[in-house]
Amino acid sequence: MPTRHTPSHRLLLRLLVAAQVLYVLGVAGAGYATTAYGQHIWLATAPVELHSLQYESFVRLRYTAAEAPLTTWRGASPPQRRQAVYVLLNTGPDSLATVAGVYDQTLNPNPGQAVLRGWVTEVYNHSLGLRYNLERYYVPGDSPLRLGKTSPAVRVRVSIAPWGQARIERVELLQNPTAAR
Amino acid sequence: MSRKFLETESPAWVTEGLITEAQRERLLARYPSDAVQAVGLLPLLGSILVGLSALSVVAANWQRLPTPLRLGLLLGSLVAAYAGGEYFLRRGNRRVGHGLIGLGLVLFGAGIILTSQLYQLVGYDVSGLLAWVVVGVLLSYLYESQSLILLPIVIGAAVQTYCTQALGIFSYTIVALVALGSGYRWWRRPDTLLASVLALGLLWQAALWVALSHSKITWFFIPAMLVYAAGDWHRDRAAGRALQGPPLVAAYLFALGLALFGETDQYAGQLRPPVLAYLGALGAVFALSVAGKRQQGRLASLPDWLLLLPGFYLPGGLPLAIATLVVLYVHAGSVLARAHRSGEAEQLTLGTVLFIIATMVAYFKLTWAFLDKSLFFLIGGVLLLSLSWYLRRRNASRLAAGVASAASGSAPTTPPTLPNQPQEPLA
Repeated sequence: MPTRHTPSHRLLLRLLVAAQVLYVLGVAGAGYATTAYGQHIWLATAPVELHSLQYESFVRLRYTAAEAPLTTWRGASPPQRRQAVYVLLNTGPDSLATVAGVYDQTLNPNPGQAVLRGWVTEVYNHSLGLRYNLERYYVPGDSPLRLGKTSPAVRVRVSIAPWGQARIERVELLQNPTAAR
Repeated sequence: MSRKFLETESPAWVTEGLITEAQRERLLARYPSDAVQAVGLLPLLGSILVGLSALSVVAANWQRLPTPLRLGLLLGSLVAAYAGGEYFLRRGNRRVGHGLIGLGLVLFGAGIILTSQLYQLVGYDVSGLLAWVVVGVLLSYLYESQSLILLPIVIGAAVQTYCTQALGIFSYTIVALVALGSGYRWWRRPDTLLASVLALGLLWQAALWVALSHSKITWFFIPAMLVYAAGDWHRDRAAGRALQGPPLVAAYLFALGLALFGETDQYAGQLRPPVLAYLGALGAVFALSVAGKRQQGRLASLPDWLLLLPGFYLPGGLPLAIATLVVLYVHAGSVLARAHRSGEAEQLTLGTVLFIIATMVAYFKLTWAFLDKSLFFLIGGVLLLSLSWYLRRRNASRLAAGVASAASGSAPTTPPTLPNQPQEPLA
């Protein structure tokens, strides 16, 4: 069967390697396309702990949208831990997005709204813990976060592609007197 | 044979006249010293160190590198690993060649992960990493290498773990890829190590499925015993048994747990899936397994299924514990009987260990309450002694029969059993 160094074998391997290169390039392309064709929203976070930057290349972002009142739950059955959900966000013009509803199936947002996918991390008595897989922010070398000494609150620009993928576009310090301190 | 053994023993062979000095030297020349091989490893170790230093330089500055450079580094190392692998394979250095091809596959996965991280991109399904498993399985068909066959099994288990833990979904495609892709590869070229790893990988995914779907843990044994049944159908007995090892160990641990904790109905209550659905599925797998055993002439291993008896449907409490213990004893006895029939020393040891475990469980669970301790030890000791006496007698009578038949000029009634030969069914 395998390992005969025939031309066809070599051709197969070349095709396979080319496919892998194209695939990785495709992932990169999806990253560009998400920003180019996606919907842009701003999410606010709690103050960011910068100590971890000393030994890791990322910080953990705690979004204010990571906790939603249980009254926003719109599913047919009660929410369960680890369940995948669709979070409907209200977005104003260039303002921070707020959770309008948490759904267990896909939905079409109205103008001024966006849908971000996420997961239920915990169900509390009166609220839901949510996770968007956007919590880990790999801080670029030129980010203002690298210069900061305090724990600033930030706002995060997220692009949501029409096909559902999402990415962090950039992170800005929240111009907020309590955070600037 | 080890060179050291030869060096220490061979002078005595020469003095005893078994071999001549010239023959001794020829034998020694046949097994070159290990030191020579170790020297051959030095360039490899050196290149690993150089590679590691390059890796740490890149890793330390990763976030500061411009995006196109990072992408270029990922793709460049990917292509270089594959090209290097092909180069070494063409020069006949199979080990380095396959190692580099495997490295290329690992770099492909790293490329997918690091590129999505580069763009802070979130995926909501498995499709991103699915390509990794697909490429792994395809590569395992292109090369005759054990490590390249093992790699997609490990990658499949890792990707499935990520899927269930981070995305909250179970990918049936990945299970199918590993079971059919790597499974068929094993089926064509059986190998015991590969069989064990394959079974472990599939059981791991089955366990993830049970955990994610919040099913009763007994459902785990439907896919597990399907893996077992696949071993029954394989013509190579050793490879089939290696595939059946992990499911059997899981079933045994489960039966042991039932014997230890089955007394409380609270535990047994967690194990009871809907009767008809579970027994129907288990029965179907059982029928498949029996058909395989019958076709390959291995019905002697049928008592393996004793461990799967659904005793947990019995009311919890003492009846359940006792029933499970009886099953454990019968199973240990069947292993001993089979070991004796085939004359395999390892099986005999295994059977004895299983017997002792069952006895210990019985001691801690039951006898404490009912029997005087000394009486229990007496009974256990007598049981073991009579067992060893019986086995010795069987051995002696078989030996005598063999000698008699050899003397009469006919072939021995029980030929020495090779591991690969199908066993005669239980009389």
